[in-house]
Amino acid sequence: MSSEFTRTDVPPLTEAIQPGTATDPTIGSTDTATVTVDGHEVTLEEGATVLDAVTAVDTNEDVPALCSYDREDNIGPRSECRTCMVETDDHGLVPSCSFPAEDGLNVKTDATAATEARDVNLDLVLSNHNLRCTTCGKNGRCELQDAAIATDVEEPRYGVLDDRDAYEPIDDSSSFIQIDRNKCILCNRCVEACNDVQVEGVLHMEGSGQDTRIGFQNGAETMADSTCVSCGHCVTVCPTGSLVEKGIEDAATLPIPGFTQKNSIGQSFESTDENKEPMTPMKQDDRSETNGPTSTNTAGESESESELEDWP
Amino acid sequence: MTEHVLEASPVLRVAGRNSRDEVLNVATSAASLPVVAVGSTGLSALEPLVLATQNRQTAFYESCTPQRAADLADTLDNGELDIEDADAVIEHASTPTRLPIPDRSPLGVGTRTVLGRCGWLRPTCPNDYRASGGFETLTADGETVVGAARRVTGRGWGDAMADTSVGDSWKRVIDADGDPAVVVNAHGTPSDRLLLESLPFLPLEGALAAAQIVDASDVIIYLSEADNQAHERVTAAIENLPQTNAAVHAVTGPDEYRAAEPTMALEAIEGSQRLEARLRPPQPDIEGIYGRPTLVHTPRTLAQIVHATSGAAPTRIVTIRGDVQHEATVELPADGSLATAREAVTVDGTFKCACVGGQFGGLTPDLDIAPTPDALGAAGVGTEGVIDVLNEDQCLVAYIGEQSRFAQDENCGRCVPCREGTVQLTDLLREVYDGSFRPDAIEELLRVIESSSICAFGRDATRPVATGLDHFEDEFAVHAGGQCPTGTCTTELQHEVSQ
Ligand code: SF4
Ligand code: SF4
Ligand code: SF4
Ligand code: FES
Repeated sequence: MSSEFTRTDVPPLTEAIQPGTATDPTIGSTDTATVTVDGHEVTLEEGATVLDAVTAVDTNEDVPALCSYDREDNIGPRSECRTCMVETDDHGLVPSCSFPAEDGLNVKTDATAATEARDVNLDLVLSNHNLRCTTCGKNGRCELQDAAIATDVEEPRYGVLDDRDAYEPIDDSSSFIQIDRNKCILCNRCVEACNDVQVEGVLHMEGSGQDTRIGFQNGAETMADSTCVSCGHCVTVCPTGSLVEKGIEDAATLPIPGFTQKNSIGQSFESTDENKEPMTPMKQDDRSETNGPTSTNTAGESESESELEDWP
Repeated sequence: MTEHVLEASPVLRVAGRNSRDEVLNVATSAASLPVVAVGSTGLSALEPLVLATQNRQTAFYESCTPQRAADLADTLDNGELDIEDADAVIEHASTPTRLPIPDRSPLGVGTRTVLGRCGWLRPTCPNDYRASGGFETLTADGETVVGAARRVTGRGWGDAMADTSVGDSWKRVIDADGDPAVVVNAHGTPSDRLLLESLPFLPLEGALAAAQIVDASDVIIYLSEADNQAHERVTAAIENLPQTNAAVHAVTGPDEYRAAEPTMALEAIEGSQRLEARLRPPQPDIEGIYGRPTLVHTPRTLAQIVHATSGAAPTRIVTIRGDVQHEATVELPADGSLATAREAVTVDGTFKCACVGGQFGGLTPDLDIAPTPDALGAAGVGTEGVIDVLNEDQCLVAYIGEQSRFAQDENCGRCVPCREGTVQLTDLLREVYDGSFRPDAIEELLRVIESSSICAFGRDATRPVATGLDHFEDEFAVHAGGQCPTGTCTTELQHEVSQ
């Protein structure tokens, strides 16, 4: 890629941070607006989205809005899960979490097309999720689980990810945070928490298509080799069991003998337990001294399977 | 030679994209008269095409060998035009500004308004372009240019105003806060590449005119890093542009299909290493490149605006390829028919149907569709300006499956309906081979991908499957019963992993 057209006014602090995500425009309304949702009128401040109106009233249908996060201004809307679709008179179906609350907009949560889109998209999220809630540390406090229960998902139409060969190894290399990407919904909250709130520049989004995943800006394969300072912000914002604090990763697991979160996946990057500092060796700038993490299985095989297969 | 090629007589022009240079060199050394390299006509079947002009006559020699070109040059040097051997001879005014058009295929197919100077001018010579009437938009009355922009709809999926009036976008840029910019998105489509290679001043003129109207300080030409020739030509042309207030830059992005999506184009220009679509609204014309109000138009759109400014009726450029002997890029009047494009090519085998609208075009057995967004939309096909011809040996179930898998492999990964939806779609199509054909499940998924994806990649990716089911549902049913009518999908293939 060549670029002879570049900008020179980037602030030095954030210059080096590469979150791997698009630079979205400013989302939200440009003025105060009154919106009608399922017959209820709501007046909202400037900067509001349709979802702000939807959450302000008692809607006819449940709108999971799974990937949205309203507790911190610097995070979202990523608007990727599309489980927040609602129908509007003027624009048809819109993602409520990132659509501006325009004055006079008439919104319906119970239009057939909107319900269908939310249900299908939630099932699409589940189709790529290792849905083993009973062995998951977030059991009972998981936003995906909540959404599935609220939407009465009984049998997701596309099934769930339960092909052991397709699982990514759990990253258990850090002494503080465990990553199970098989539970990641790519909501990007952790990436934004790490870059836009903490300004640590550790996490980023990488890959495309089915290979899209959260990774590390320094190119490390494991958390232990990243530049993480273990501030824990990413864990706080993660809606699922993908990022959990060490020590409680099995806290909510149902006590079924021999059945744990780790052996549900089958492979993991183990911790050497040598580094007890919150900062990783990379962050301590002490690269040569410590041992790297070890893998209980050969890493890297989860990528590029079935790539050469010809149609059909 | 004279200041510009239009005045030269006698003159020998050599037009073409590839394999032009040898003909050019041999002819140049064979004669003392001017031998000039002009751009491609868009018709690869003719090229290298030699055009000998003298005394208000131009003789055409199609697919000319170097030896023949040398002989022609020699004859012309001696004051004679070899008319006997020519494929066509045309009488014309003393300095025609457009390629004279013989009444035969493929040059005679459709109209040649936007393409009129392709194959007639030296691509990067500003004098040729000016003498042909170029750059007049830059001094035209602003109201006239804006009126033209209102009449023209954006061309191609790389245009932020695809299929809608361009003038609306210009107005939003003018009204928005910030320093405006113009992006010329030339990524990925054969006709845009042709314009940049053959007549780069035309889209540049349109871009500079747009920049004047919206008061933009930067014009950025964005193209694929694989399009070397287009990049060279446009870079050379930029150096020879008339003085204006806007700085003009050329920037390349990765050679990936998705990189042409308007907001991914902005990401690539800003230097992002990973390309994914941006959310909208607001559209790039309010917050675009580095947050600046930005017009994003394809070279085709800008070329149409230049011609509309001088009063020409909008046309549509289409490239017809696939199961044909030679790819051809032709131009059709708005009241014409896509079927006309077929006259420019020889189909290999028997025509079965066509995929209209590029990578994610719509399948149709009948090309009699007017080349307007409304008519194309009503026929369920795409407006991207590419027609892929499929002959009777093509299995549509396999073809559609491949389009779906392309979508699964090439999407940016940002949104669930596209990223996960295309995986499930591919699986549902694959299930057909196991005897399970569930059109309701497929259609439900298509509706959701189409209505809830972030960008046009996901929305368009549903089109081959949706139109395939519309026109060829029986082929799916037959496959589910274990048979492939064309014999393309064998039972062995089903489970075999080939290399
Ligand atoms: S714990 Fe590490 S990865 Fe998570 S936000 Fe803090 S620095 Fe970033
Ligand atoms: S790890 Fe958690 S917070 Fe990060 S993208 Fe995945 S689901 Fe979202
Ligand atoms: S529709 Fe596809 S290409 Fe577009 S943002 Fe979504 S995943 Fe990316
Ligand atoms: S909540 Fe709107 S797209 Fe996820």
